[in-house]
Amino acid sequence: MPPPRLTSPLKALAKLPRPSTSSALRRLSHPLPSHKVVLPPQPHHASIRHSSTSSVDPTEVSHFNALASSWWDPHGPSRLLHLMNPLRHTFITRCLTSIPVPVSASHPKTYRYLDVGCGGGIFAESAARLPHTSSVTAIDPSSEVLAIAEAHKKRDPLLTTSGRLTYRNEGIEALPLPATEAEQFDIVTLFEVLEHVNSPSEFLEKLMPHVKPGGWLVLSTIARTWTSWAVTNVMAEDVLGIVPKGTHDWRKYVNEGEVRGWFGGREGWGEMRTMGVVYVPGLGWREVPGGEGWGNYFFGVRREG
Amino acid sequence: MPPRIPVRLHEPLRALKAVRIRSYATTAANPELYDVVCVGGGPAGLSLLTALRASKTTSNLKVALIEGQDLQNNQLNNASPDAFSNRCSSLTPASVKNLQDIGAWSHVDLSRVQPYQEMQVWDGVSDSRISFDWDTARTPWKPRTPSQPTTIAYMIENINTTTTLLSRLSELGGVTTHSPARVESIELGQETPELDLRSWPVLTLSNGKTLAARLLVGADGANSPVRTFAGIPSRGFDYNRHGVVASLKLEGLGWGGKDHKIAYQRFLPTGPVAMLPLPGNMATLVWSTTPERASKLKSLSSADFIAMVNAAFRLSTVDLDYLHTLPEGQQDEVAWREQHTPINNGNVPMKVLNVQEGSVASFPLKMRHADTYTGERVALVGDAAHTIHPLAGQGLNQGQGDAAALVRTIETAVLHGQDIGSVLSLEPYNSERYAENNALLGVCDKLHKLYSVQSGPLVPLRSLGLSAVNMIGPLKGFLMQKAAGIR
Repeated sequence: MPPPRLTSPLKALAKLPRPSTSSALRRLSHPLPSHKVVLPPQPHHASIRHSSTSSVDPTEVSHFNALASSWWDPHGPSRLLHLMNPLRHTFITRCLTSIPVPVSASHPKTYRYLDVGCGGGIFAESAARLPHTSSVTAIDPSSEVLAIAEAHKKRDPLLTTSGRLTYRNEGIEALPLPATEAEQFDIVTLFEVLEHVNSPSEFLEKLMPHVKPGGWLVLSTIARTWTSWAVTNVMAEDVLGIVPKGTHDWRKYVNEGEVRGWFGGREGWGEMRTMGVVYVPGLGWREVPGGEGWGNYFFGVRREG
Repeated sequence: MPPRIPVRLHEPLRALKAVRIRSYATTAANPELYDVVCVGGGPAGLSLLTALRASKTTSNLKVALIEGQDLQNNQLNNASPDAFSNRCSSLTPASVKNLQDIGAWSHVDLSRVQPYQEMQVWDGVSDSRISFDWDTARTPWKPRTPSQPTTIAYMIENINTTTTLLSRLSELGGVTTHSPARVESIELGQETPELDLRSWPVLTLSNGKTLAARLLVGADGANSPVRTFAGIPSRGFDYNRHGVVASLKLEGLGWGGKDHKIAYQRFLPTGPVAMLPLPGNMATLVWSTTPERASKLKSLSSADFIAMVNAAFRLSTVDLDYLHTLPEGQQDEVAWREQHTPINNGNVPMKVLNVQEGSVASFPLKMRHADTYTGERVALVGDAAHTIHPLAGQGLNQGQGDAAALVRTIETAVLHGQDIGSVLSLEPYNSERYAENNALLGVCDKLHKLYSVQSGPLVPLRSLGLSAVNMIGPLKGFLMQKAAGIR
């Protein structure tokens, strides 16, 4: 299947398929009841619900492979993700600077990143290039997509510096739990992943031990509203057909209030930050105050300490 | 996968021969890696490198400069105040501000820079006239404020601009400079088990060095080898006009004295003739005319050449047509005809007394615009991207604007961890500069064509337009702000 080409103004909310993450999540999601949190209804697709034993739907694999090869094409189906990437850094910087961290001049603060569901490495590469980054660990269970990421990394001598950027072909649950604080991460990122998760609460719980006290868990996703439903499901998939049918399951979308409420009830998690964004054709992604209530948004939460 | 052909031949072969690009079957195995390699050490390239070194955000980038000429020998050095290079430019306040921002302007030899406060422009056929100065360009009911600018632009020798930038660059340090060195070939790199340079341009220089560029900047002029390598077509046409330049000495400082210098431009049907003030009694000439007339002017004795320049601002187009047919003796002929032509001295530049020996030269006028300024790991600035008619004196300023915009784009990319050579990172540079340059190229081209008309309904119309603009202060102010590069 050819990769979807998003050419309509509606692509604002039409989330691009994240083959790696959805396959990742299908692999690791367990059909546990989500009693801990009020979150979207569980999906009804049998193939997804019972994915903990099987790995990936074979028909989707070929689709993901087609996407993988065009991951770094600036005019390909991942263009919107590329364009969104600078905003991720803007938001992370905003989170980090909102809580001043004492910095000693002789040892300027550097950050360890964990990027979960890294895909072709758009964010992971960019984080690894920043001067204040000590290392980036990027994980994705899809070996096809990770091969693309590894190949692209070789194009930049800076990234091939030892330890700067490490890709691991595994899901979050396969990542060893940190034994010491040094093994934890200052910034754990989860971009465009949560909307593909069957059991978001369980998934988030798996991430949390990896965040260093004083560090941030930063995610971006899309709100479950009538607007997003109309745009991403009805228009993009059914009417215009610019996104393959079944790419998005609107019922899996997570609202900002739900994430906020869930973290509000977690011990040891405090400061929260939000930023709503919208894609404006011709201008690119723009921050929209209040946008987190109805469209794409960033969410950051700080682990106390 | 991009082809591994050394240089893609989208351009006429003569362009390649001119820069002596040769093809090699393979790239050197271990090129030295750079973040930015700039080919061309003219005002645009030097401005770009200076800004990259001066910016905190980009000063960590590893940068290199390649220039075919010897940069050490091509600098302003103890020049006499009575001798000026015939290659001068009118720097807009925006360009000067940019040079200030990157810390270069304090290195300039100010004794060889001439700000001017007024511009007189008139129609050689109808004599309709417009005068630009900041005082008449304001809204009539608003009083002048001291903060309002008085300078329209700054006349400066190009060599003064490049010397200024080189001085600032040597103060900043950190640029690997290959000069004089020619680019022998540009080809895409190779893949090794550790590194994939197949998207990186690799340059082989005449001094044997090989450099691989994360971002290759073509500041290498109208026949840009970098543009050829990138396979970016450049379109346009020749005006069938030549620009005749000369350094002149006038009979005085000018009608406004030392503190109110005036630039003059008269639109003749063959093209505009401009007299631009330099320090003291000096001035620089830019006379756009047909190739035949250009060679005639260059062949004249100094006395006859001076007479023709004086005539170009004073006599009728009929007189000028006749004068160009004379093999010699223009001096006497002009003296006689001036007696029978009513001339308001305040409306024309002071008389030329002397032409600096060896300063009369000419170059063909062209209009060129590259289809795009960016490609994978390639960006074009200055003449490599566009060549403009000199009538508005915008060529060098466009290059300065390009350099500043490209540096802003690179800064944004660095701040967000992007690969500065990627198409996505470079997109903002292209979208910011292409439309702006295209508009300016178009306006100058249309002006040239509008004033090439000798008779017919266009002549009174264009005169009416000029007179109308002259009377409407705010509109004039708007036009002047555009010319000054103020947004």
